[in-house]
Amino acid sequence: MNYSFTLNDLLFMSQGALITFVLTISSGIIGTFIGFFIGWARSSSSKIIFYLLGIYIDIIRSVPLILQFVLFNSFMAIAGYPMDPFLSGILTLSVYISGYVAEVILAGINSVPKVTRNSSRGLGMTYLQDFIFIVIPIGFKNIFPSWTGLMLGLMKDTSLIAVMGATPPELLRSSQIIINRVHEPILILLGAGVFYYVMCYLITYLAEKYEEKNHIKSMEIR
Amino acid sequence: MLDYTFQWKVVWKRLPDLFEGAILTLELTILSSIIGLLIASILVIWQKNDNIFLRNFTKTWISIARNTPALLQIYIAYFGLGSFGIHLSSYVAVLGAIAFNNAGYMTEILRGGFSSVSKNQNQAAKGLGLNNFQTYVYVIYPQVLKTVFLPMTNQFIWAMMGTSLGIIIGLQELTGMTTFLQSQTFRPFEFYFIAALIYIFISKSILLSSGFIAKKYLRI
Amino acid sequence: MIKIKDVHKSYGDLKVLDGIDLEVNNGEVVCLVGASGSGKSTLLLCVNALEGIDKGEVLVDEISVHDKNTNQNELRKKLGIVFQQFNTFPHLTALNNVSLALKLVLKMSKKESNDLAEEHLIKVGLKEKLNHYPSELSGGQQQRLAIARALAMSPSYLLLDEITSALDPELVGEVLDTLRMLADEGMTMIVVTHEIPFAREVANRVAFFHEGKIHEIGSPKDLISNPKKIRTKEFLSKIL
Repeated sequence: MNYSFTLNDLLFMSQGALITFVLTISSGIIGTFIGFFIGWARSSSSKIIFYLLGIYIDIIRSVPLILQFVLFNSFMAIAGYPMDPFLSGILTLSVYISGYVAEVILAGINSVPKVTRNSSRGLGMTYLQDFIFIVIPIGFKNIFPSWTGLMLGLMKDTSLIAVMGATPPELLRSSQIIINRVHEPILILLGAGVFYYVMCYLITYLAEKYEEKNHIKSMEIR
Repeated sequence: MLDYTFQWKVVWKRLPDLFEGAILTLELTILSSIIGLLIASILVIWQKNDNIFLRNFTKTWISIARNTPALLQIYIAYFGLGSFGIHLSSYVAVLGAIAFNNAGYMTEILRGGFSSVSKNQNQAAKGLGLNNFQTYVYVIYPQVLKTVFLPMTNQFIWAMMGTSLGIIIGLQELTGMTTFLQSQTFRPFEFYFIAALIYIFISKSILLSSGFIAKKYLRI
Repeated sequence: MIKIKDVHKSYGDLKVLDGIDLEVNNGEVVCLVGASGSGKSTLLLCVNALEGIDKGEVLVDEISVHDKNTNQNELRKKLGIVFQQFNTFPHLTALNNVSLALKLVLKMSKKESNDLAEEHLIKVGLKEKLNHYPSELSGGQQQRLAIARALAMSPSYLLLDEITSALDPELVGEVLDTLRMLADEGMTMIVVTHEIPFAREVANRVAFFHEGKIHEIGSPKDLISNPKKIRTKEFLSKIL
């Protein structure tokens, strides 16, 4: 057995990084989709819908992701549909991030001034036309930086499902597997850190370029 | 569809153990937030220091804290530092990593708070004859507190979520304790469900009381 | 008496004050007019030591403002300043906005400072607003609050920096009325303003600033009705 870090290990970690990306993108897309509709529904005039969905968001935001994950898995098990941890991981991450996305979407919709909406309706646009052609383009610009921040957070959170033994291993899990053999924890962990850092940096960079090009004012929120 | 009988009695019997876990969770959250805030108060000053080393140190801290997963930070504290002969207990590792992470985010919150107070406030206070110290204590800080209070509350909740990662290195905070109990009783769902309720209860209490303070004393 | 002697100041390459000489006698109201960026506001900040100077001297009651042995916090007690953007303290009620410096700087007791603050707020017409926060006041009310805050310190001189520029037109009158009242009481004031009619009515002298210099100075009658220099004429014809 080989006890030193080899090129193969680096390849293994790169594959892990790729899985991290896949996890982030798939749950990011599903979560944004769910969150969009929840946020939209909450912007409607119904107080009941607002508070009911508010409970959903509250729960998601105040239970640790790792607990949501094991809770979901154990529920599926007793319901008689045990799930592959990779798949249930994507689902949990999607639902988790949807709660945060919903809040951002709601803020985006509310960021469109009432007078703007009144004037588009005043021109004879229907509710849906106003929403699609006025609210979404304006709101999108306002929330883009926050949404990017959420996706960065999501990428870091994908490291959690590693722990539950999902295969194929994502970045942190693959690092752990190498550590078990090589016994150089600090080097490999720092290496994994560099991977994450570069990926985060890349996303931030691309987002900033996009913001610059489209004159989006950056406002940081977590 | 669900031919499963829920057994809540088992959980009821082990409730004291769950509370013990919850107390450890709260303890770690509070300590890591206090330490994080203290460090952040220093970093936010260093951020504008003339000394380039201090400035870069702060910059590096913030960007590592924000751009790598908290779990990785815990791993480095717990496994990684071993390479240097530093062996931390899982308690210290979680506390240190979450405090490290908190400090990074809190520095950014504080920076935002200070930049939200207009420069003119400083001039107005000085124009009335207040000295530097008085200007900060009576004019600048109260306004900073107002802008950072709610973001800091959110950060506090986040820190609580972060402490749940302690389970991975065998710490018996609420999530870890729950996992331990369910493995003894084979009732995972019931235990995890109650643990989730406890988390929700704690978060909600924190949010409600900070909302109350914000309204009543800070006029936010 | 305020004596400004050959004051120079630059921000980098930009010369803001290029040799200003001006004496303001006690009981006098001097209005500074001129285009924005001509250095009027900077001069006020220099008189109050909120800005340093590169060359020259400012004397307030024979004390050199920028001398490093001068206690500037002590000196500022003599000089009240009011800004264009009000700069009221948003976290304090109107009463506490006024009483804060009374307690901290003049070391008055809580009772004394509150009574005095109330007196000054009543004087500027804010009797009903004592316990309101700045966000609950109109621009004109906020500016009167800022004036009361400066006056309560019983300064010997009042420096006013375009204090009506940020106000809606209908609110300008109430602030100018307050200034008229102060002028009648004999308060010494240096007023940076764009309100030429007001300057004509209240000022003892008017100074026209151009590119960091006092281009022309004289009684309002002379300067405003009969400007001698071409720049002054141009400026006045634009603004009137």
